[in-house]
Amino acid sequence: MSIIATVIMATFTAPERIGTTPQSMLWLLPLVAAIAVVYKTTKVRTVKAGEFIKETAILFGSIIVFIGVTALILYTFVWLITE
Amino acid sequence: MAERSKESNLFFLLVVGLLAWVVPGAGHYVLGERRRSIIIFVTIVLTFCTGIYIGSIGVIDLAGAKPWYLAQIMNSPMVAALERLTADGTYPVYGRPNEIGQIYTSIAGLLNLLCIVNAVYLAHLRGIGARG
Repeated sequence: MSIIATVIMATFTAPERIGTTPQSMLWLLPLVAAIAVVYKTTKVRTVKAGEFIKETAILFGSIIVFIGVTALILYTFVWLITE
Repeated sequence: MAERSKESNLFFLLVVGLLAWVVPGAGHYVLGERRRSIIIFVTIVLTFCTGIYIGSIGVIDLAGAKPWYLAQIMNSPMVAALERLTADGTYPVYGRPNEIGQIYTSIAGLLNLLCIVNAVYLAHLRGIGARG
């Protein structure tokens, strides 16, 4: 096996170091982007670059805003209980 | 004659569904939806690879995480081959990398399931259109 193939294989056999920090929640963003892209791919009538990117961006933004609002409501709820 | 046409349509739907499962986007490709198939393939493979990059191939764990595995196997039968590699516990992974890796690989699988259903539905609609 070549060195390049070995290096590529090695990157998938050891986990990354990711702590339980608030920043680790940012890993959510690429996943939301993937969901928005695939969902819109199955929904649009014809795949045209401009329209597709616009629709995907709107869906991506909507999901992020909804997650943000949900997080805010939950944070307020916890704050009211604990304070 | 109509019975034979119905049978061949059912067989075609089965082939489309199977192809879409084996290679993400292949179902749409055989239907002539080239752009859709490329977008689906790139997005799902990238999401799955991100998952196993973050958590290692150890996130594919049939014994320890069966519900996650059921979603992961929707990516492709290749996941079963990866599971054979990890079955002896050579690649242990814990904590946040495990969580993120499992979520990424499972969501990629569920997205592919959506694409399989969509490809079969498109093939079904075309079958109805062709029969009139």
